[in-house]
Amino acid sequence: MASLRDIRKHISSVKSIKQITHAMKMVAAARIKRAQNAILASRPFAIEMNRLISDLYAELAEGDFSCSPAAALFEERPPGGPLCLVLVTADKGLCGSFNTNLLKAAAEWLRENRGRKLYAVVVGRKGRDFLRRLKNLDLEISFELVGIFPKAGYAHAQLLAENIFRIYSSRRVESVTLIYNEFKSMLAQRIVAERLLPLKSHILEGGMEPGGRRGADFIFEPDKPLLLEALLPRHVGAQLYRALLESQAAELAARMSAMESASKNASELIEGLTLRMNKTRQAMITTELNEIVSGSEALGG
Amino acid sequence: MGKKKLLLTIVTPEKTVLTAHPADFVAIPALEGEVGVLPGHTAMVVQLREGILRYFCGEERNAFAVLSGFAQVSGDKVLVLAEAAELATEINEERARQAWRKAKDIITMKGDQMDLDEAQAALKRAAVRMKLAEYRRKHR
Repeated sequence: MASLRDIRKHISSVKSIKQITHAMKMVAAARIKRAQNAILASRPFAIEMNRLISDLYAELAEGDFSCSPAAALFEERPPGGPLCLVLVTADKGLCGSFNTNLLKAAAEWLRENRGRKLYAVVVGRKGRDFLRRLKNLDLEISFELVGIFPKAGYAHAQLLAENIFRIYSSRRVESVTLIYNEFKSMLAQRIVAERLLPLKSHILEGGMEPGGRRGADFIFEPDKPLLLEALLPRHVGAQLYRALLESQAAELAARMSAMESASKNASELIEGLTLRMNKTRQAMITTELNEIVSGSEALGG
Repeated sequence: MGKKKLLLTIVTPEKTVLTAHPADFVAIPALEGEVGVLPGHTAMVVQLREGILRYFCGEERNAFAVLSGFAQVSGDKVLVLAEAAELATEINEERARQAWRKAKDIITMKGDQMDLDEAQAALKRAAVRMKLAEYRRKHR
């Protein structure tokens, strides 16, 4: 049976762990508010961007579009070429199943596409370490971004977008898939795998109102194809920025609930241990009393 | 109040800087030179380059440092989509100068390509901020 001292030691170590998990929970809770606000703040930009793109597309004659370099971003490429994966994970652990589920989804994707040349663009330390450990795959990590959370900014998304475009144009990549965790609510995250490139053509028609186009005749400077060409990378940048923010908020939410349950478990453990300690102490006192009484009786008092 | 006003909206990915703020005149740093917009301007879409965006509204004058993006003018509404926009008074000249020097150093040292790209962008940003700080000094 454990001695009193051992149990005390155990209790104090559980207590300090609880303090840490509790502090981590509070930190995550404080940051999550900011992360949520960042998501909200990024929305108007994305909406206006989409509207501008569809306005521009509506103004563009069909012939203009198909011969502009922007059209290349929409064009489906012949299947069988290399693929590119963009994986957004967290930098740190201790956030429940956040990374595990993400890496499982990534592993699934990699298994499906095994045998092809793969390029990876990875955000977050966990994902990078995971991809580095993989063997027997024709996988090349072309770009990594580590240590940006919890201060992900648009600059990071832009850097990411530039590198993705570089890979996309120089390596004849068939398609670019983005895997990240979406912030659904405080308690739930959802893994999203979506195609980033080639662009889906519906973003062009997205802002069109039924019943025809708006009447405005715009002046364009520079001319339309050039403008569209400059706009589209920014559209991808805005999309990536949103993914980063979602992932950031989801990570904090996951960490918060994980740390909350850890703190709860620690409390339960402490309760049980305290009970055991008291029982042991009581038992010791009883035996000591027993000894004293029986001793004095033996002396014939 | 008979005079028509422009409504200026500036959004960046990180926040909405201005929402439908009335203005008499807006000067936009377009790719091919500065464009002045008065009420009643024709509909227009321009690409921005990093520079100073100014607007006047009565006695109120303000300037922003904007980095590349787009601006759309349609029916007295001016919509600016910039990658970043900072109010003149928020800019710290000393810090901009330091950033400029640091970026310059990185470029002369010639690190790897990624660092270089980043330094080039930082250099541009710092240059705009310094220009704006100077502008603010002149027009106070």
